[in-house]
Amino acid sequence: MQIDFSYNETWLHKINPSLKLIIIVLLFIHLLTIHNINFLINYLIGTLILYVFCTGHPWKRLLIISAPFILIFLTSSTSMIFFGKGEITWVKWGLVHITEESFFRGLHLGFRGIIFATLGVIFALTTRPVFLFYSLMQQLKLKPKYAYSFMAAIRLIPLMLEEAQTLHYALKVRGVQSEKGVRGFYKKLKSYSIPLLSQSIRRAYRIAVAMEAKRFSNTVNRTYFYRLGFSKFDVIFLFYLMIVISSSYFTAISYPYFPIMDVRYN
Amino acid sequence: MTSIASMTNMRLKFPGVESLLFKDFSISLNKGEKVLILGPSGSGKSTLLQVLTGLIPNTVDVPMKAEELVIPDSWGFLFQDPDSQFCMPYVDEEIAFVLENLQIPREKMEKYIEYYLQQVGLDIDEIHTKIQMLSGGMKQRLAIASVLALEPEVLFLDEPTAMLDPEGTKRVWDTIKDVGEDKTVVIVEHKIEQIVDFIDRVILLGENGEIIADGSKQEVFDQYKQVLIDQGIWYPNVWEDYVEGKRRDIPKIEINEEKSSIHLSHFSGYRGKEKTINVKQADAHPGEWITVLGENGAGKSTLLLALMNLIKTKGTYYVLEQSHKKIKNIADYVTFVFQNPEFQFITNSVYEEVAFSLQLEKWGEEEISKRVNELLRVYHLEDHQQNHPYQLSIGQKRRLSVAASIVKEQSVLLLDEPTFGQDAKNTFAILEQLEQLRAEGTTIIMVTHDLNIVKHFATTVWKINNGELTKESSSSDYTEHQIQPAFS
Amino acid sequence: MGKGLKLTDILVTIIIALIFGMIYKLWGPLYGVVSTFGLQLEQLIYGMWFIAAIVAYLIIRKPGVALLAEVAAAQGEFIFGGEWGVATLIFGIGQGLAAELIFAAFRYKRFDMFVASLAGVASAFASIGIDYYYGYIGDLALWNLLIMFGARMIGAILISGIFAYLIVQALEKTGVTNLVRPASKEDYKALG
Ligand SMILES: Nc1ncnc2c1ncn2[C@@H]1O[C@H](COP(=O)(O)OP(=O)(O)OP(=O)(O)O)[C@@H](O)[C@H]1O
Ligand SMILES: Nc1ncnc2c1ncn2[C@@H]1O[C@H](COP(=O)(O)OP(=O)(O)OP(=O)(O)O)[C@@H](O)[C@H]1O
Ligand SMILES: [Mg+2]
Ligand SMILES: [Mg+2]
Repeated sequence: MQIDFSYNETWLHKINPSLKLIIIVLLFIHLLTIHNINFLINYLIGTLILYVFCTGHPWKRLLIISAPFILIFLTSSTSMIFFGKGEITWVKWGLVHITEESFFRGLHLGFRGIIFATLGVIFALTTRPVFLFYSLMQQLKLKPKYAYSFMAAIRLIPLMLEEAQTLHYALKVRGVQSEKGVRGFYKKLKSYSIPLLSQSIRRAYRIAVAMEAKRFSNTVNRTYFYRLGFSKFDVIFLFYLMIVISSSYFTAISYPYFPIMDVRYN
Repeated sequence: MTSIASMTNMRLKFPGVESLLFKDFSISLNKGEKVLILGPSGSGKSTLLQVLTGLIPNTVDVPMKAEELVIPDSWGFLFQDPDSQFCMPYVDEEIAFVLENLQIPREKMEKYIEYYLQQVGLDIDEIHTKIQMLSGGMKQRLAIASVLALEPEVLFLDEPTAMLDPEGTKRVWDTIKDVGEDKTVVIVEHKIEQIVDFIDRVILLGENGEIIADGSKQEVFDQYKQVLIDQGIWYPNVWEDYVEGKRRDIPKIEINEEKSSIHLSHFSGYRGKEKTINVKQADAHPGEWITVLGENGAGKSTLLLALMNLIKTKGTYYVLEQSHKKIKNIADYVTFVFQNPEFQFITNSVYEEVAFSLQLEKWGEEEISKRVNELLRVYHLEDHQQNHPYQLSIGQKRRLSVAASIVKEQSVLLLDEPTFGQDAKNTFAILEQLEQLRAEGTTIIMVTHDLNIVKHFATTVWKINNGELTKESSSSDYTEHQIQPAFS
Repeated sequence: MGKGLKLTDILVTIIIALIFGMIYKLWGPLYGVVSTFGLQLEQLIYGMWFIAAIVAYLIIRKPGVALLAEVAAAQGEFIFGGEWGVATLIFGIGQGLAAELIFAAFRYKRFDMFVASLAGVASAFASIGIDYYYGYIGDLALWNLLIMFGARMIGAILISGIFAYLIVQALEKTGVTNLVRPASKEDYKALG
């Protein structure tokens, strides 16, 4: 299984991974406190600019990755649009009760979902897991036991996909014919998931033993092959976000798209 | 002589297994010795290495105790499966992991990494290369490099070349001999041709985990020859003795040239979008034993996968004179033994594994039990019937995968290195059983790196070079033209 | 054996978590497809997002495993570019803690279906708590909120309780669980 995920390294890649993670968590919390849909839409535009122009991945890939965003939008918004509380009724049809308030609240949730998704994907696309865990060890004092376990486990994933394929072969070779219906599905699910899980656990275990054989646990003061520090790119990132957030806020106040300042029901 | 590792009266038992694997086992290794541990498959060699390094019981929780146990201060362990010993994605990061453990300052790491890579002869242009991109032989050499980075006094090696082609095997052993010169080296290995000249002491384990011989290599190979033969262990010249004893020659006559069991023309197999194997024209007949030879990564396994209809193929392929496209379930005619036995197991016990195909065929319980027990006996697995396949030793796993595949007796047998990691007794048991099937008209297509098999069992050789079936010749022609066989 | 998790425990927990992390990632779009009707039926499959903690705990049976597994699975989903972004991390911590508390309440001595289901329900509660801030669910019509609540609980019991338990039972048959569980006293006694 060789999937080529080549990309150009951009300034987003060079941001300190721990910092990037913390900032995104902070943005998440901040976003939860935004109830003005106009603000949120501007915010969305600011993150989309990063996504489209700064990740260094080809357009086609970005497009494919963002396809589920639409789904996110729908998942996050529909129940609220159809069944949320509100006074100004637009449509009433059986249980469905769309009101102006519920509609905009749903929309708000949908946009928010997309922002979370975009931020998350930006992080995933511009951070090498190895760097993330080195940085977590160095900046946030994550214990090496956990960090290296993560890195080793991530290395195992492509091997696992290969194993899934071989398992598929093995079942065919042994003449297992798939059955139809729910029972067949359950059987199939079981005949794949159990061996895969158990084989992965065994492999993980073996790797842990091999790591111990390389004196992993005895080490008190590790040295690090990669040193992750801070750079001007961290500052640029912070700057960018500050500009996006403040300008989103002020344009939302001065030039709102919708005359709604708080989507909550009161 | 100073002892560097020792134990007295060690006892060990795997959970859930009735008997003790080791009972009052004592051993002492001296500094600077090159020790070879020999023993039948399943005798406990791999387990012993883990005890000698303290991995059991410090990391692996297996009940054991010993009156006295000294493990070396600094040791390195080379495991058998290259893919299960790396924890980082890139070559440089993997060696750096060891250097970090040893608290080598960061500035010096790069230099060390290059040094160790050079020492094992892993010449790659860019040290920041994905480990996944390396061939099996290269991976194993990287594993050695990262073990060397520990600067160990004692090296423990558990069949480090089982997955490699003759060329790769030779290079890995050359590397080990080179770097192990001034170290204590403990080796577990079945195929000993390559290392006989390197070792000086041989320890022989018996089937029940006891030491049955221990001495210098001359002593053991000369005085204990009968024991070696009885226990079915490889020793120099075992093939000559075997052939002598059997007085068998290759019965070519039995090939039925009129009937075709496999016919290929302009046939190719794909891994993803890439054409990984191409066959212009090739035929196999009932009663023919074809060995497929080629370097690591040449495309041997791919060929078998293609013949088993598991990957995308193009071109003409007839199985027993029917087009493969028309066959609904190819497993009725062709069976397949995977290169890695673990991939093949789909049940939870050794018995079930062999019985599986027969149960699918709706055989009666009694018939099944008779057939299964017979096979388990031939393959020396009868004591492990209720074990889970994954709990077997490497050699036992391999045998189980062969037993489970041939139980149904399909007309065409595809085998991917069925004899690796096997002791002599079991290798011959497998080969003889295959020979019997062949004599009854089965077509055997077998990937192997062992030229002795080519010489003494095969009828035909298919040589694969870089994804292309380049040569089809009779095995006697092939072995004659082979000026310097890699195994002799 | 000493207290705390050993490297083998951690690595095995994390690999289990990452496998489920991948499933979580795939579950996102599935959940999305089911949920576009807005009737909260999707809540029935929400329970899948609690499963990593429970499966890992049932296998390894040690304190801390449930929390670690759920956080690692969320982290995995996040690294694989999951659609919910960092929200998964927050949910992961909450759900993992909830499950961990249940196991702790039984002093890490019970590994049956009942405890597994209870842990699932606890995780579901935690997730609803976070959803309160995250999804304005207080602003849903009451009947809709109740369906959501009920469906999520049922899903949690079915998927992360019963189904998880069955998975681990099947795994036990493969003998793999012996690797990570300490050897029994009887086995040591048998050494003589
Ligand atoms: N986890 C386990 N549980 C139960 N039995 C086991 C376990 N691991 C190994 N065994 C059994 O212990 C015995 C010794 O195994 P070991 O792997 O040490 O053999 P070996 O001498 O290295 O064999 P080989 O040459 O085939 O590699 C075998 O019979 C095997 O079936
Ligand atoms: N799953 C896969 N996907 C894509 N390419 C693969 C896959 N497996 C193998 N290949 C490639 O196909 C080529 C042939 O591999 P194959 O496994 O058939 O070699 P082999 O001759 O069996 O080698 P070995 O002696 O190591 O078993 C190699 O270049 C390998 O990199
Ligand atoms: Mg072994
Ligand atoms: Mg191969």
